[in-house]
Amino acid sequence: MEFGHSIIIGFQVAFEPVNLLFCFMGVLIGTLVGVLPGLGPVAAISLLLPSTFHVPAVSAVIMLAGIYYGAMYGGSTTSILMNLPGEAASVITCLDGYQMARQGRAGPALGMSAFASFIAGTIGVIGLMLIAPPLAEAALKFGPPEYFSLTVLGLTLLTFLARGPMWKSLLMASLGLFIGCIGLDTLMGMPRFTFNIVGLTDGVGLVPIIMGLFGVSEVLLNVEQSMERQVFQGRIRNLLPTLRDWTRSIWAILRGTVLGFFIGILPGGSATVSTFISYAVEKKISKYPEKFGTGIIEGVAGPEAANNAATAGGLVPLMTLGLPSNPVMAILLGAMIIHGVQPGPMLITEHPDLFWGVVVSMYLGNVMLLVLNLPMIPIWVQILRVPYPILFPLILLFCLIGSYSLNNSLFDVLIMVGFGFLGYLFKKFEYEAAPLVLALVLGPIMETSLRRSLLLSAGDPTIFVTRPISGVLLLISLFLLVYPFIPWLRTSRKLLPEEREDI
Amino acid sequence: MVRLNNEQMGSAFWLAVGVVVALYATRYGLGTPSSPGTGLMPFVAGVAMCLFAFIGFVRGTIQKNQGVGWKPLLKDVSWPNSFLVLGALLSYVLLLPYIGFVLCTMLFLGFLFRCVKPMSWGRVVFWSILCTLGSWGLFELLLKVPLPKSMWGI
Repeated sequence: MEFGHSIIIGFQVAFEPVNLLFCFMGVLIGTLVGVLPGLGPVAAISLLLPSTFHVPAVSAVIMLAGIYYGAMYGGSTTSILMNLPGEAASVITCLDGYQMARQGRAGPALGMSAFASFIAGTIGVIGLMLIAPPLAEAALKFGPPEYFSLTVLGLTLLTFLARGPMWKSLLMASLGLFIGCIGLDTLMGMPRFTFNIVGLTDGVGLVPIIMGLFGVSEVLLNVEQSMERQVFQGRIRNLLPTLRDWTRSIWAILRGTVLGFFIGILPGGSATVSTFISYAVEKKISKYPEKFGTGIIEGVAGPEAANNAATAGGLVPLMTLGLPSNPVMAILLGAMIIHGVQPGPMLITEHPDLFWGVVVSMYLGNVMLLVLNLPMIPIWVQILRVPYPILFPLILLFCLIGSYSLNNSLFDVLIMVGFGFLGYLFKKFEYEAAPLVLALVLGPIMETSLRRSLLLSAGDPTIFVTRPISGVLLLISLFLLVYPFIPWLRTSRKLLPEEREDI
Repeated sequence: MVRLNNEQMGSAFWLAVGVVVALYATRYGLGTPSSPGTGLMPFVAGVAMCLFAFIGFVRGTIQKNQGVGWKPLLKDVSWPNSFLVLGALLSYVLLLPYIGFVLCTMLFLGFLFRCVKPMSWGRVVFWSILCTLGSWGLFELLLKVPLPKSMWGI
């Protein structure tokens, strides 16, 4: 009865004309962002965050979430037609998607990608609906030690799943923790590392940092390269996959959905990681693994399902624990706080309209995306033909306006430019920015939980291991940290494709 | 002079940053176990940076002994483009409060259209005006973002 009532609330909220409009705008902008190479959902959501300040919290979150899962749909179009990922989670789709396009099967590749995204997105939302409420109830038992251990696990997982050497990810996470300390100490109200700069009193803004690290740095790297891009020239026909395509893809879609959803739930798990793992699994269990990379439809269906399911999975820890599992969720967390909504165990009880409204809007958004994507593919192809020399100044301009409009502060713009250059250097020296961003968000939660726990236990650090949930979470973190040093396990980890430089 | 490779250079830099952060954090007080101080978390972050940077430096040194040297970062790329863009961004921030959004954006876009991947002057002027007015209309008029104005009020 309770559950049914909640769903009815969700439908009432999602079907309000204004929310339908915001949902539509979100998925449309998300698809566009996904289609355009060099502009990912992180930068786009940061960019549009200030424009949601004047709308209700529910509408804002519906639109921002729509951008995220919409980008997952759009990214595959660019991968299939240009052999260039529209956003990071579509990298793996290039391998078989582009080969299918070269063989004259761009239509079925695009069609299957849209259907896989729709199926996974819908199942993912069902998962979110079923898992989030009981998890939120369980999370009510969490105290500061559990939150501290959870943030430790989140950071460890992220550094574990990130590409490249673990020490680099941990280094970036440490840097993020430090940047998160800049500004007023939340418990004592004492300024730290502000050097009497007024702009630093409230800390370094998350949005300017993300825009710099992911938006500006990407442009700086792109303008160094040749800006000529080849878009698929042939006619796109037969968007509806054949029965044979379906029989080959359906299990890949279902496996990708399950994998993607649960990887999305993990703190530190991202849509990108889920696509690589899905591809690796499909290749491993396939009867013809050697054909992967030559235009196999399962190689498109599995990862595309995984990245869409991961978006729904990512909302589970955010909505129930108030913990973002990736940079996009970190911005959503920021957006909710700005709108006066505190994500966490009480969210579903205190703001049922927001939680259930967003859940139902995701069903609607997935339907909109399916209806939008197939007929609009020729339009996306035309957009891809906009030359990059015209596109990149506009991306920069949006970043400049976006970071300025947060607080009407030029200092934020300066921070964004600075982090843009830093992000450029990170990429040159092969450091990943994602652990930094997540640590920046989790850092203050971690610090507050650590200090409160120690105050609670009168300085006894065993509180973290004697409380069962906290102890288990720390044990998992410890295992993940020592895992790379266990030789036989490390060998199997090397086989994951995200470790390879040549993709 | 000993030439470091990329890993060593990067790690050495972060090691220095970590040391500065950890030392500076002690000025805020580390507190006691029962009452952790304001400086504890940044101190822990600084020490962690030092530790991981040290691991990186050791790894870099092992790689160097195996023959991995300095890999040029700006080789085979049009790096002046990146620095032109960076210069344009900084100039934008500096000029914005004085000449306002409209003029500053027009100059910024015009510079990027003309200098990074050169277009004809006609196209530069056309796209700069179109994009500036489009973004001004979108943000100032539609989304009600108060964009900076010049002394002439635009």
